[in-house]
Amino acid sequence: MNEPGLDVREATPDAARTTQSRLAARDVVKSYRLGRVTVPVLKGAALDVAEGEWVAVLGSSGSGKSTLLHLLGDLDQADAGEIRFDDRPLAAMSRRERDRYRNRSIGFVFQFYHLLPELNVVENTYLPALVGMSRLAFYTQRRALRTRARDLLAGFGLDHRLDHRPRELSGGERQRVAIARALINRPAVLLADEPTGNLDEQTGGEILDLLSAQHAEGLTIVMVTHDVGIAARADRVVELHDGAVQTGGGQSFTR
Amino acid sequence: MPDAWRPGRLHSAPPVYHVLLTNRYLTSRVIPLIAVAAVAMCVALVIIVVSVMTGFLDMVKASGRTLVGDVIVSYPMTGIPYYERLIDRIASLGEVAAATPVVESLGLLKMPYPAGERKQTETVQVWGIDPVTLGRVTGYDETLYWRPPAGGEIFSEDDFRSALEAELGPDALTTLYERGSALEAADGSDRAIVLGMHVSIGNERQRDGTYRPVFGPLGYWFMPRYEVGLTVVPVGSSGGLLDPVTRGFQVVNEFVSGVFLIDDKRVMIPLAQAQDMLRLVPSTILDDDDEDSGFVDPARVTMVLARAVDGVPPDALRDRIATAYNAFREELLLDPTVHPSVVPPPIGAGLQVQTWRQQQRQFIDPVEKERELMRVLFSIIYLVCAGLVLSIFWAIVYEKTRDIGILRSVGASRLGISAIFLRYGAIIGAVGAVIGLGLAYLVVRNINGIHQAIGEPAPVWSWVGAFALAAGAVGMLVWRSFSGFLLPVVLWAIAAVACVGLGIGLLLHRGTLIWDPSVYYFSEIPNHLDPVTAVTTMLGAVVFSVLGAFVPAMKAADTDPVRALRYE
Repeated sequence: MNEPGLDVREATPDAARTTQSRLAARDVVKSYRLGRVTVPVLKGAALDVAEGEWVAVLGSSGSGKSTLLHLLGDLDQADAGEIRFDDRPLAAMSRRERDRYRNRSIGFVFQFYHLLPELNVVENTYLPALVGMSRLAFYTQRRALRTRARDLLAGFGLDHRLDHRPRELSGGERQRVAIARALINRPAVLLADEPTGNLDEQTGGEILDLLSAQHAEGLTIVMVTHDVGIAARADRVVELHDGAVQTGGGQSFTR
Repeated sequence: MPDAWRPGRLHSAPPVYHVLLTNRYLTSRVIPLIAVAAVAMCVALVIIVVSVMTGFLDMVKASGRTLVGDVIVSYPMTGIPYYERLIDRIASLGEVAAATPVVESLGLLKMPYPAGERKQTETVQVWGIDPVTLGRVTGYDETLYWRPPAGGEIFSEDDFRSALEAELGPDALTTLYERGSALEAADGSDRAIVLGMHVSIGNERQRDGTYRPVFGPLGYWFMPRYEVGLTVVPVGSSGGLLDPVTRGFQVVNEFVSGVFLIDDKRVMIPLAQAQDMLRLVPSTILDDDDEDSGFVDPARVTMVLARAVDGVPPDALRDRIATAYNAFREELLLDPTVHPSVVPPPIGAGLQVQTWRQQQRQFIDPVEKERELMRVLFSIIYLVCAGLVLSIFWAIVYEKTRDIGILRSVGASRLGISAIFLRYGAIIGAVGAVIGLGLAYLVVRNINGIHQAIGEPAPVWSWVGAFALAAGAVGMLVWRSFSGFLLPVVLWAIAAVACVGLGIGLLLHRGTLIWDPSVYYFSEIPNHLDPVTAVTTMLGAVVFSVLGAFVPAMKAADTDPVRALRYE
């Protein structure tokens, strides 16, 4: 429905979105301690992500955009406010439920790929699937699992790289492996933290095309970036400024 | 079938990824090998040192029985009168396996060497013994060195006994052994003496623990071919010194007790000879008018040694023998044929009833102190090893903090992550412990050989080999210096310098005697691997490896994933 490049970033009425919101941040406050100084990063940030939506969070460096994404992905804890997934606050979940949330409901893509250096491409890709899988389950399903990982990687043009270690890959290839890893468990939401931040323009463009294609298949994506041009690939852009989301932000950055 | 696999239920059973990760962590890096090597070295170090120390103490304990039996009744100088009655009483005790009389004194031994008029004189401890009963108490005849090979045993070529056998026939050794065990001279008289192996300058210990005479420009001094002069100073009944007595004895054999102090000083002569030379033979007691009083001052011995039946503790035996002694003294006091002045004093007044430990205090105390010192040092070594293992794992796991963050970000539970490092630590600890045990076994079993090798100049091949390795390293250094990388050049340079240093060290090595028997009492280093130490040390290695890996892993797993991810 949303073709890449099409400008559909009209502000949807807030009330209309809340009901079908997949992932939401409500008045999130987060600060870091640097020695004796407390640095506030998020001062009541709010965000709603609807099913099937591609949201870009735009902000300059230090604006707290990565922090917001980490809070959404349960990689960090908010000081105040709440993160809701399918209308359920993460804070109300048990540790196991939250492990499960990170494993099944979301997929995370980092700027610096964060692949495990000791595992090859296929193993890195199906690592999230192994989490929570008993040995017996692995031995009965490993063929299907490898097939799924290979198909994902082949779709990303990595079929000749399956047995390589991450250090033998280029940056773009590594990021594609990281995306394949994020998708292996068919998550509800893909969280991407500056996915092209470490790549040249052409490679970054390829990664964005890849995300675009996944989005076209219905994947919900939240992506943070400092680059207006990259943010333009999303359905909707919200701007993070001074620790809070500027309503209607992003409009001024439209191409 | 691209969609065949779908994420299923989340299992709480042991997840499979930790197996994959542990195996990869173990096989794709050098650092686990370093950790295994460190654990192995620590385990080997602890097992070797504790085993040698334990063996040393065991030897001290065992030596008591082979030297003096379990309990000693001693009354130095004056001697115990009517000792046959005392021995009868002691021997009749159920706890006693055997008892024997001994006369102990100091003496001077005039040696047959060097050639010429002036001969060398040694101070010795003289034991007048009854070889048969002493054999039952201490295993005397088993310590005699010159003897025929036991059933089927063949002496090594290096062994002087084989040369003796070849030269004089196998009967020569049999004769020496028979004379030694009976303390009988060639002419059948009792002018026979058996020397400790190190009393004379004649014998030299070989690498395999055997002895052979020292060959010099003037031939060699094989003592059982010579006569020696023994001088002792008897003590009168009033305590004054009498004129020294000197007698010639024929050396009939030499003994090796294994305790250097004994082998270096003690000589054995027949009991009757010792009693005679030291005026411990029966004599008439004169009354105030210097007339025969009708009483006899009986023969005496300065010690009675007793050996306990197996399983009876020496302290229990000592109490029984003390009671027997008191009864023996009562009997003498009531006996009208015994002159009152002859009756020995009660226990404590110059007369002692002691276990061998008490009697050999000056010998055992330093050893016990050494043991305590070793225990303290040992606790420190143990802690250092534990700290080393802990810190190696700490470093390894900290290096993996980012991986832990990644695993957490894809939903791995904290317990699942701990399982990775638990496995990792356990495998490295176990492999290291097994290798360490092997290493320790090799060293401990061959410790006397190693000691001998250290005690001799390094063989030519060793330093030539070291220099050859150094040359190879220099070659690699030159070759790799064209590669433009710094690290291989530095590493090869270090290797070259190390090999040159090793070579020079080996070249200059002229042999150092570390285990000097005159310092360590024993002529051989214990080479018995202590199983208790081995097992506890190996367990300790695994525990510290697991702890070392587990604690930082838990710490990393407890931090928020994003903080762990930021760890570079």
